[in-house]
Amino acid sequence: MNFRVLRKARVLRDIKTRETVAMTELIRQAYRYITRNEQISPRIRQQAQLMLNSFPRAARPTTIKNRCTETGRGRGVLRESKLCRYQFRLKALAGEIPGVKKAIW
Amino acid sequence: MAFINLSPPTKERLAVLAKLTAKLFDNNYNPTGIRTGNKILRQRLIGPTVTNWYPKPLIKKREITELFPEFQLIDLEEKQRLDDIARLRKRGKGAPKKGQGKRATVGTKKKK
Repeated sequence: MNFRVLRKARVLRDIKTRETVAMTELIRQAYRYITRNEQISPRIRQQAQLMLNSFPRAARPTTIKNRCTETGRGRGVLRESKLCRYQFRLKALAGEIPGVKKAIW
Repeated sequence: MAFINLSPPTKERLAVLAKLTAKLFDNNYNPTGIRTGNKILRQRLIGPTVTNWYPKPLIKKREITELFPEFQLIDLEEKQRLDDIARLRKRGKGAPKKGQGKRATVGTKKKK
């Protein structure tokens, strides 16, 4: 199996998810407001809930996965540097990440 | 002393006071604790921050070729992809042509 291609596919999927979330976010929040508002009639609230369910899976913000920007790895990714732990180590040792220094004592 | 009412204020009067206070200080008056969904209106939109996770390529090959059509440039990523496919084909491990796949052939055999 070609892992390089696999990784790239996962990253592309994540990019698409992020774009979908950004695109549908406003209207989804409006529907979410209606469903959570108890002052609105239950019928309308239920319809809003149905509309929310009709969105694609990628419209949900929880489907976003923070992946390594260098390798596309999905686990052990440091949020601050957007790198997985090994890439972070490599770059830090090379002095490419500002403010990071190997501890010696 | 006789003018001062020492009994505690009634519930109704306290409610009126709370309502008035809320109006004066621009607060929400919600005595029953009903859910209004304001929590969602208060949330920030995450779209702009979320789409900026992956760095975008500063310049694409297509943009260069459009500007300078006389250059014979090679897209390294595309070349790698084509080479990979060619290598797989050579070993007979490449993807089948359209209509030659496992699923497609199974369907036609049954029809015959």
